[in-house]
Amino acid sequence: MNRTSPLGQAGLWIAILIAALVTIFPFYWMLNTALKPQSEVFLSPPAFYSANWSFDAFRTLLLERPFARYFMNSLIVSLGSTLLSVALATFAAYGFTRFHIKGAGALIVFLLFTKMLPETLLIIPYFRLMSELGLINSHLSLILAYSSFALPFSVWMLIGFFRSIPLEIDEAAIVDGASRITTLWRVILPLARPGLVAVALFTFLISWNAYVWALVLTTDPSMFVLSVGIANMVGEYRVQWNELMAAAMIAAVPVMVMFAFLERHLVNALTAGAVKG
Amino acid sequence: MSNTTTTTNIPARAWTGRGLARERWHGYLFLAPTLLFLAAVIVLPLFHAFWTSFQRIRGLTSTFVGFANYVRVMEDEAFWHSLRVSLGFVSISVVAHVALGLLLALALNKITFARTALRVLFLTPWMVAAAVGATIWLWLLEPQFGVVNYILQSAGIISAPIAWLGTPGTAFAAVTTVEIWRGVPFIMLLTLAGLQTIPAEQYEAAEIDGATPWQKFRHITLPNLKYLLVVASTLDIINVVRHYDIIGIMTGGGPAGATEVLPALLYNTAFRANRFGEAAAIGVLLLLMVLVFAAMYLRITRVGQEDDRR
Repeated sequence: MNRTSPLGQAGLWIAILIAALVTIFPFYWMLNTALKPQSEVFLSPPAFYSANWSFDAFRTLLLERPFARYFMNSLIVSLGSTLLSVALATFAAYGFTRFHIKGAGALIVFLLFTKMLPETLLIIPYFRLMSELGLINSHLSLILAYSSFALPFSVWMLIGFFRSIPLEIDEAAIVDGASRITTLWRVILPLARPGLVAVALFTFLISWNAYVWALVLTTDPSMFVLSVGIANMVGEYRVQWNELMAAAMIAAVPVMVMFAFLERHLVNALTAGAVKG
Repeated sequence: MSNTTTTTNIPARAWTGRGLARERWHGYLFLAPTLLFLAAVIVLPLFHAFWTSFQRIRGLTSTFVGFANYVRVMEDEAFWHSLRVSLGFVSISVVAHVALGLLLALALNKITFARTALRVLFLTPWMVAAAVGATIWLWLLEPQFGVVNYILQSAGIISAPIAWLGTPGTAFAAVTTVEIWRGVPFIMLLTLAGLQTIPAEQYEAAEIDGATPWQKFRHITLPNLKYLLVVASTLDIINVVRHYDIIGIMTGGGPAGATEVLPALLYNTAFRANRFGEAAAIGVLLLLMVLVFAAMYLRITRVGQEDDRR
C-alpha cells in the first residue's frame, strides 16, 4: 500500500541512518573509550577507533575499585524487588481479572496514580522513615523502595496478560475440584509464563536503572549500587574517563541484552491505555 | 481438563464468569497483599511528606508551623525561577519528543527491511538508565577532550572549545538535548503502535482518489493519531516534569541555577540545604502540577471506567 519512489526510499533511509547515528553514537563512544588504553584516552584529536583494545579499565574497576560489590548490590536489590513485586502482582492481577471487585476502577486509577508520583517527593519521607527504622544502607530499604514503584507497573502488565487467558480455563479447573490457589499455581501461571517473564524482566530493569533512591538511601560506599557508584566517580577530582565508560558499560550492557528479549512485550506494558485496544 | 465431568458437588450454574457466588469476597484476599504493601510504601510516605511540609525540622525536633513552609517557598525567588526553568525544560523537551518521535515512527513505518532491529536500536537511549546516559554525555561534552567539541570544531561550527556545562545558556541546552535524546524513543514506540492500528483501506481509498502523500498524512494519519498523540504528550509531560536523574548527574541544577528544575530544587533543598519542611512543600506543589496532567490523562483515556463496566 505504501509505495514510495526509489528516490523517496533513499531519502527515507538517509534520514533514518542519520537519526540512528545520533541515537547510538553515545553508546559507541562509551564502548570506544572503555576499550582504550589509558594513554589514548586524552588524545587530541580523539581516536574514533583504536585497534589497541585494552581491558585495563575493567580490570581497575573490578580489582582496585569496588565495582564487583556495586554490581552485586545492584543484582541483589533488583532481584529482591523483582521477586517481591512479581509475587504480589500475580495475586493482585488474578484477583482483578477473576473476581468481581467493587471499586476495581478506582483501585486501578490508584495504581496509575502511584506510577505518576514524583519520586523526589517520596524520597524525603522515605529517607526519614528509613533513618528512623535504621534501614539506611540496607538492601531491604532499596528493595522496598523499588518495589513501591515497580509493583503498580507489574500489576498493570499482568492484568493485561491474565485477561488474555479465558475464564473458562479457571472454570474447568474449579469444576474439577481445584482450589483457587491450585488453579492459579498449576493452570494459570504456566499459561501466563511468557507474560510473567516479561513482567519480571521489566521490573528488574526498572530497579536496575533507578538512581536517586539509592543515592539518598545509601551513604556507605560498600552499599552503593552501580548507578550511585558511577555518579560518585563523576564527582572525583580527576575523572578517569575510560574507567567511567567501562563502568557505564557494566551498568548498560545487561539492560541491552535483556531488552532484546523484552522488546515485543514493551508496547503492551507501556501504552497501558495510550493505544486504544 | 474437561468440564464435561460435572460430577463434583459444585453446580455449574453457580459460575458467573466472575467467580463462584459463594467465593465472591475471595477476590479481595488476592488483592490484600498488594494493597497493604502499597499502603505501607506509598500512602504512608505520602502522608508523611504532607505532614513534613507543615513542619519546621531542626535536627531531630520538628514543630508544626502551618503553611509557613509554603509561604517561604512562594516568597523565595528561587522557586519561581525553578518553575520557569521547569516550564522551559518540559515544554521544549516534550515538543521535541513528540515532533521527532512522530517523524521517526512515520519513517520506520514506511520501511520493511531491518525494522525490528532498528526499533530496538532506537529504543536504547530510553532503556538504559538515565543516570548512565547522562554520564556518557558528560564525557561527550567534556570541554577539553570531549568528542562533541572536536566534531563541532572540525566542522567549523565553533572556533574554540565550549565548556558546555559551565555557562547557564549552554548548560540548559545540554541537559535539554540529553533529555530529548532519551525521550524520543518513548513517543516513537507509542506512535508506531498507533500507526499500525490505522486501517489500510483508508489509505487505499485515498490513493484511488489521487491524494498526495501530504494529504494522506494530513487527513488520514494525523486524525487517526490525534488521540494517541494527546495521551502520549500528557504521559510525557508527567514523566519529564518529575524527572531528576539527568540533571542530577550532569549539573545538579547549576550553574547559577540555570538547570534547577523543580525536582532538582527539591533535592537540593532537602539533601544539600537540609531544609526538609520546605523541600516537602516544593514536592507537594510539584505533585499538584503532576496531578493536573494525571487528571487530564484520566479524562482522556477513561482508565478505570471500563474496568467498572466489565
